[in-house]
Amino acid sequence: MTALAADIPVIETERLVLRAPKMADFPAFADHCASDRATFSTGRLTRAQAWREFASAAGAWALQGHGAWSIADKDDTYLGEIAILHPAEFPEVELGWTVMAPAEGKGIAFEAAQAALRWAFGVRGLATLVSYITPGNKRSIALAERVGAVWDAEAALPEGETANDSVVYRHRGRA
Amino acid sequence: MTPATTLTTDRLTLRLPQAADLPTYTAFCASDRSRFVMGPFDAVQAFNKLCAMVGHWTLRGFGRYVMDLGGRGIGHVGPLAMDARDLPEFTWTLWDPAAEGQGLATEAALAVKAHLFEDLGWTEMIIRIQPGNTASCRSAERIGAVLTDAEAPDWYPGALTYRLTAGGAA
Repeated sequence: MTALAADIPVIETERLVLRAPKMADFPAFADHCASDRATFSTGRLTRAQAWREFASAAGAWALQGHGAWSIADKDDTYLGEIAILHPAEFPEVELGWTVMAPAEGKGIAFEAAQAALRWAFGVRGLATLVSYITPGNKRSIALAERVGAVWDAEAALPEGETANDSVVYRHRGRA
Repeated sequence: MTPATTLTTDRLTLRLPQAADLPTYTAFCASDRSRFVMGPFDAVQAFNKLCAMVGHWTLRGFGRYVMDLGGRGIGHVGPLAMDARDLPEFTWTLWDPAAEGQGLATEAALAVKAHLFEDLGWTEMIIRIQPGNTASCRSAERIGAVLTDAEAPDWYPGALTYRLTAGGAA
């Protein structure tokens, strides 16, 4: 796999398409990263920092066989990101999600997360993955629980983090 | 014509970055050799940077190649432009000190330059090099780049700026 856009798998759900990230998605992502909405994920980022985040998550496919999808609706409007990533500071493979403000409150992240998990377990053959969530991020915790993840008090935290930074929710494939 | 994902030179294969490059690239990032590119960088940063190198290909359809010598990545070379409005920046770096002094970076840069200018019709790139990086300055001269008096960008203080144009000396 190269991480050229054509090599990144496409997943369709009832309302969504998960597809390769592209430049047309980036302005919305950069605006999101520059806003308070990024507090729980990357923290506020400059445009150049946001570009490196966006590119790195897209490029992870070539190095690890999983990476970031852009979430789009059926008209290809960009709604957010769903990503299966394992950067060096993470002890395990993580499922993460980000939804742009206009798409919030519609179950978009839930629908995308279900699709990504189905791919992770069924196609990619992963046995488990986790979501690292900031303790105060109630929406993300609720979503993790809604897709079947359970709080894992024993799981290792990302390098340099404490329980104040992240709680770990564990996803498992259904046998 | 879209950019080739593989190019070959007399001694090198130029190809996309892959996972097997990570140890050599990480060692480079941690070493004194990265001082000219705003390093050092730790293993976490090195991983993200190598991923971003690939992601540039995903997003822009072109990007930097790994110089592969006998099956081993020894450096990277190629153009970089976060935005279509930016003039592409041409970069090269030898990760492995054992690869220095043999003209490999110049050989790789000439091949990529030829592909971009002759095959794809690109017309201009800039090159930014830290003063004191004499080996890189020599490569810039050998591929026909011209030193300018353009100011260094905020993110790369002190850098010299070269201009590389199609039809220039090679």
